[in-house]
Amino acid sequence: MTLLTGTFYYLAAASAGSALLAVTRKNPVHSMLWVLALFLHVAGIFLILGAEFLAAVQVIVYAGAILVFYLFVLMLLDLSAEESQSRFGTHWPFAAMVGSSFVILVWITQIERSESIATTTDPSHPLGSVADIGMALFGPFALPFEIASLILLAAIVGAIILARKRTAKK
Amino acid sequence: MIVPLHTILGVSAILFGIGVFGFLARRNIILMFVSVEVMLNAVNISLVGFSQYFQEPHGQVVALFVIAVAAAEAGVGLGLLIAINRNQTGSSVGDLTKLKW
Repeated sequence: MTLLTGTFYYLAAASAGSALLAVTRKNPVHSMLWVLALFLHVAGIFLILGAEFLAAVQVIVYAGAILVFYLFVLMLLDLSAEESQSRFGTHWPFAAMVGSSFVILVWITQIERSESIATTTDPSHPLGSVADIGMALFGPFALPFEIASLILLAAIVGAIILARKRTAKK
Repeated sequence: MIVPLHTILGVSAILFGIGVFGFLARRNIILMFVSVEVMLNAVNISLVGFSQYFQEPHGQVVALFVIAVAAAEAGVGLGLLIAINRNQTGSSVGDLTKLKW
């Protein structure tokens, strides 16, 4: 086992553990901090899998922007009333069953043992470089890229309209 | 290839299962959104794994779109949550019974 493989298994175990803690903590702020740990570990997995640009986006957008947004909204709400209630619904055993049925997928993936395609990577041109992703974004993915910007614009307008205080019309 | 593909898919499946459990079991709306984010991260891991397996950057581009959609989802969802909280306190799904017949 090389050092990189060991690092991958550490990152995988740590992300699974922090995800489990994030969905089970009683205090929502603690959950947010565990989700932050999850995002950073997933960014590490991206780095090991050769997606440097995506790792940077993960840290900047997920850990930087989205998580701060969640924390701001958490501070606007009444947390003390939240903590007195039970954190799971009464149906949580069924939810655990459905969740663990996805974990059974792990064994299915182990049956079809995949052999890695003979990789002929050119070290001077690594996969996942910003140039590669940029060429794909503005080449075959140009239309989905524009649609994604449209979705973000619609989300901005929708969030403002939803969260704005309604004033009486004259 | 540092890690075989089935290991990456296994990690992704475990994370997705944790996200599904959190979404179905938690009663707080914010924690349900966070579980959705966990599921989206799991999908991103498998997309990046496929991208490395096939030596194609396309998987990473799709993962980028997933991150964009996650940002939009967080914005609209939390805007809805603020709008709900203006009329009533509490962010538990048990309180949202207005649409119940």
